[in-house]
Parts: sequence; structure tokens; C-alpha cells
Amino acid sequence: MPSVCLYFEVHQPVRLNRFSVFNIGKNNDSSSTYFNHELNHWIFEKVAKKCYIPTNNLLLNLINEFDGKFRISFSLTGTFVEYCERFMPPLIDSFKSLFATGAVDLIEETYFHSLSGLYDDLDEFEDQIKMHRQMIQRLFNYKPKVFRNTEAIYDNRIAKKIADMGYKGIITEGTEKILGWRSPNYLYKPVNADIKVLMRNYTLSDDIGFRFSARGWPGYPLTADKYARWMSSCEGNLINLFIDYETFGEHQWIETGIFDFLDHLPRETLKRENLDFVTVSEAVSRYEAVGEIDVPWAISWADEDRDVSTWLGNNMQIACFNELKDIGKKLKENGNKDLLHVWRLLQTSDHLYYISTKGAQDGDVHAYFSPYDAPYEGFINYMNILQDLKQKTNQ
Amino acid sequence: MKVAMLGWEYPPFKAGGLGTHCYGITRGLADKGVAVDFYMPKTKHHTKSDRKNLVIKEVGETEIFPYDRPDDKALAGKFFDAVYRYNDLLVQKVKGKYDLIHCHDWLTMKAGVALKEKTGAPLVVTVHSTEYDRSGWLYPNQWFIDIEREGMQKADRVIAVSEFTKKVIVEKYGIHPDKVSVVYNAVYPIGGGEKKDVILFLGRLTIQKGPEFFLRAAKKVLEYEKDCHFIVAGMGDMLPRLIDQAVDMRIADKVIFTGPLTDEEVKHVYKIANVYVMPSVSEPFGITALEAISAGTPTIVSKTAGVSEAFHNCLRVDFWDTDEMANKIISLLRYDPLHETLVERGKREIELFTWDRVADRTIDVYKGVL
Repeated sequence: MPSVCLYFEVHQPVRLNRFSVFNIGKNNDSSSTYFNHELNHWIFEKVAKKCYIPTNNLLLNLINEFDGKFRISFSLTGTFVEYCERFMPPLIDSFKSLFATGAVDLIEETYFHSLSGLYDDLDEFEDQIKMHRQMIQRLFNYKPKVFRNTEAIYDNRIAKKIADMGYKGIITEGTEKILGWRSPNYLYKPVNADIKVLMRNYTLSDDIGFRFSARGWPGYPLTADKYARWMSSCEGNLINLFIDYETFGEHQWIETGIFDFLDHLPRETLKRENLDFVTVSEAVSRYEAVGEIDVPWAISWADEDRDVSTWLGNNMQIACFNELKDIGKKLKENGNKDLLHVWRLLQTSDHLYYISTKGAQDGDVHAYFSPYDAPYEGFINYMNILQDLKQKTNQ
Repeated sequence: MKVAMLGWEYPPFKAGGLGTHCYGITRGLADKGVAVDFYMPKTKHHTKSDRKNLVIKEVGETEIFPYDRPDDKALAGKFFDAVYRYNDLLVQKVKGKYDLIHCHDWLTMKAGVALKEKTGAPLVVTVHSTEYDRSGWLYPNQWFIDIEREGMQKADRVIAVSEFTKKVIVEKYGIHPDKVSVVYNAVYPIGGGEKKDVILFLGRLTIQKGPEFFLRAAKKVLEYEKDCHFIVAGMGDMLPRLIDQAVDMRIADKVIFTGPLTDEEVKHVYKIANVYVMPSVSEPFGITALEAISAGTPTIVSKTAGVSEAFHNCLRVDFWDTDEMANKIISLLRYDPLHETLVERGKREIELFTWDRVADRTIDVYKGVL
């Protein structure tokens, strides 16, 4: 009897201002010169109206309607929560109400949705996880048991670290690269650590996230009934559906029928006798790992490649990443608190994502999310800001 | 299929993209089995064909350089006379059985229309630039516009070198969009060379090409990067004014005005340039950008250039935004990964821009009117 583990990633990056070489070394106020607060505010409110508010309301109704049998999990990034607290505190209350139903679980991650899990030392990674832990503690008085790294980036080293920090489960992509012939619908265990790994069922997840409104797709139009039938015929213990929260109303507009789909999903799922819903914590306590996975090189749930080439796939991205790491080392030596926070906001993986030069379908997805006309624009802007921060760090 | 193509210039006699285009398209068509008779004004160069089913037919004689804007009234009169004379000659000299007549720009449109009426063969016109482009949208000359409009109206099909140009053809000349096909230009790759700290402008020194914006950006770049040099390659009516501008801005020692260059010299400057800038005010396509990229030179193009809609791996600016132009030039000088990525990906993308492809698209257009 497979359990459906439905989990949403909720994230907004702090987008950058236009910053030319002529701005380098000109202004001491990093926050207002680096970050485009006006644009960020505007986008946040837009997405909140289209997605966060209506989807939260719908989910709360569904949980009440099915008396807690409909169960879900969220991960809220630190940058997202900062937006809420700044521009829309009631949205935090709405997440609190969801959590108070007891049918909602919360997932840990790096506060800044960063690539710090790929740094040479994992101290910054640990710091950012602790910041996230404090934030969840403060808002929800809860300590998450399951961790999901930025865009499900995962390797043996990260798994070991997370196990050492006391988490019971970690989420990553159920890619054939790792599983081979094995099914993602079971829990696994890393070769080198004692923790359970939840593998995302990317086919079923992307049916909602990417293909829902694609008219050329044989599954179109996707109804909750059809989808529940697909899930019901699945083998295994666990169907991990990990989806960007913005899928609802933002990536898939309301006109596509995505909210109707979500509205009917619990009923259609619970109609099937062999299906139920679990949160991520329940998944790891209910089921045992059936095998081991060995992941020496980092994987993720991004793009067709399912690796870290989305952020580190070209020399421009690698140059920025190295610059960012070097600045961090210096900052930690001379301990400037304000600059440290700015540096961390710049670590949000989206900034590197915009510099990807991938072609074809992945490229279209990147272009959809990017505030820049081209990856080159993204590089110039981000690199100029890093140069300015480097100067300030060295002062 | 046999085509009478009416042109104005052809290498080694050429002043701009039109000559380059005719060279590429005629050879590309010939390689695909289309017999082409290419008509052009007689020059002292004795232009020759290197393809069996491509014949170059030089007509009469003309002395006037085709692209200088005839600001000078006396010269203008002579220039128009020369164009008229050439078009009249074409109508007399183009004989034989052709399946199709294909002409380029206003310079040969009158003859194209007359020959269509005389022979009954369908007419295709390619628009490489309109009077609006050449005048930089400042004072377009109605005389040219009328010729262009008549040519496009009477043509069976119009080829535009970009969507940008198609839009002008539809909106300013009132041509039905279904009659206009877009065929992007191509390039014979030049190949890279050893780069120097040189930023290049190459093109006619006219309002259309925006050389004064290049100099303004140069001034800003030099405040931050003192060791680089700027080359302004090409000739045109703005040359004296540009030299004055460089002197006034106190950057004359950093800017090299090359005057006219031979084909070999053009290739050389492309090869040594570290950055190529095409700040055109209005640019239907901009083959020079493809040439620079094919020489391994990262390129900054104006957003109002056709090439910027067709080619991904280049940088884009508004031609008037000289701060941003300077920002991008300096970024290219400072950030090697940016430079390397543009070179590498640019070379890969340029392989898609072949005359073979242009010939295929053009034959598609021919088939549509036959």
C-alpha cells in the first residue's frame, strides 16, 4: 500500500539590482545597492496573490474536510520567511494555522537556499541549517526531523553531515543515475551514514509541476481521478511528490485548472483503498530502508541532467562560485556581521541559476525564471556585485 | 531553375552587407543547382565567378560609391543619375529565359519591376535596409521610400533579413505580412587570431551605424581601463566629425581611425580585436557582428539590430546607453570567463549561420512564387 508523501518547496530569492562596473566601490550601503527591494516586493506580492494565499486557504480547507487524512509537508526558505515578515505577516499566520492542524510537517534546509553544501568545508552549511532551525523553532516551536537541501542537492558527504546533525531523513531526486533499476517508491540508506533517504518520484512529480498544462503531452488533460489511478497502480511503499509550491497559480496559472486538480486530489486519492497520505516525518518512521545508495558526485532535482550543472555548468558560474567562497573565508576571518548577512543573501542559488547557458528545454525553463535577458547579463551583474563586496571585505 | 539576380556590388567591389550577402547567396544557390546570372554595374575589378552555374554579368559603367548618403546636392544628383542609368541598362540587357527575377534593395528595384512587367517572370525582392534605417530614422528621403514601396508592392514575394525589418516593411510600407519572409544572413567564418587590448568598431561612418556612441563609450572605458585602444575602421561622411569628437574628449591618442581597409586588413582587425561593438541606431541585420564572432571576438550589438534577435551568444545594449556599453566592454576586459564563454559558444552558434541554409530558405521562397 503506497503512501503519498506530498511536499512543497516554498522559496523566493532576493533579486539583485542592476549594478555596473561603475558602481563598484562607490557606495557603502550594500543592502540597498545590491538588492532590488522594489522589484522583490512587487514579485512577492504578485506570487502571494496568485499562489501562496489561495493555495494555503485551499489546503487548510482540504485538511479540515478530510479530518486530517490529507497530510502534507512544507519547506519554507529563510528568504521567503523574511519576505512574509516584512511585507505580509498574515501569510506566516496562515502557515501557522496549517501547521496547527497536525496534518502538516515542516522540513529543514539551508536558510538561504544556498549551495553551501558544496563548499570545501561544511561549516557554513551547518551554520545556515542552524539558522533555519532557529527560525522554525521561533515561528512554529517545532524541530524538523527531515532535511531537504537546496533543490535536493545530495551526495554522500551531505548525507553524512545531515545524519550527524541528528536528522532522521533526507530528501533527494529519485534518478536512475543512482537507483539504476530500483524504484524510487521506497526508502533507501546512504552507504556511509545512518539516515533514511526519500527519493522523489520525478515522473509523477513533474506530471504536475511541468506537464500539467502541456497540450502535447499524452496525459493531457490531467484530472485528479486519472492521477489517483496512476498512483494507485504504483508498486512500493511511498510515492514522493515533491513540487515547487509556486506551481499552483504561478507556474501553472489558475486558468489551467491546477486549483481544481488540487481540490479534487485528496478525495480521489483517498477513494483508492490502497492509498493514504503521510508527512515526511511519518514516512521515515513508518517505513524501513530497502537498500543502499552510493552518491559520490552531487545530484539534484534540477534540469534534465539531475546534477549540479544547473548552477556550476559553465566557467562564468564557477568563477562566481569561487569568488563567493573566497569572500566568505575573508569575511569569517575579519568578522563583519553586516557584510556576512549580505554575503549570505548572495549565496542563494538562484543567482547562479540565472547564469546557466543550457540550451533547449532546460534553457527555456531558466529563461522563464530569470530576471535577466541573457545569462551573460546575469553574470556581469552578479560578478560586479561580488567585486564590490570583495573590496569592502578587504578594507 | 534559372534566376536573373540584380545586384549593385559584389566582392572585391563592395561597401557593405549587400555585397557580402550577394556573394554568399549566389554561390549558395549555385551549389544547390540553381542557375544564377548575377547582374551588377561594371567596375574596374572584373569580378569573376568561381561556380559553373553562376555567371557574373557586368552592365555598363558607374563610378559612384553606392552607400555614401548623397548629402552633397551636386553629388546626389550624379548618384541618382547613375542609379537610373544602371536600372535603364538592366532593363535593356537582361535577356533570355528566366524563371524568376530577384533584386536587392532600392538600387535595383525599378529594373526589377520593369523586367517583371516586360517578361512576366515573378519578382522577388530582398530588403537589406530601408530608407528609415539608412537615415537613422531622422530625415528619411521620400524619393527612396517611394521606390522601395513600389518595388515591394509589385514584388510577388519580399525577403526581409530580420523580423525587425519585416516589421518596418509591414508598418511603414504597408505590405501584407504574409508576403514577407524572413531569411537571416550568414557568414563565411574568418577564424580566430591573437587578441590585443583592442576594442573595434567596423562599419560605414554614418548616422545609421552609431559610431559617435562608440566613442562616448570609449571615453568612459578609458577612465577605468587605461591600457586599451579603440579602432574605428571604415569610411563615411561622419569621419571628420568623429575625429573632432575624439580630440574634444581628449582620447585621440587612444583611438585609431583606419580609413578604408582591404578585405585582408578587415580580417586582420577582426582577428586581433578583443571586443567588437556594433552600436547601430538602426540595423536590419548586421553581418559584421557574425564576422567578428566568427573571428573569435565577443560582440556587443545594439538591441535594434536584426542579428540581436537571431543570435543568442552576444551581448545586447541600447545604442544610446553608452554607460551600459562601457559596463559591458569593461566586463569583457576584466572577466575572462565571460570572454571565454562568449567566444566558445559564439563559435558553436555561428556554425548554424551558413550560406547553405540561406540558399535553402531562399529556394523555399522561390518555390512559393513559381
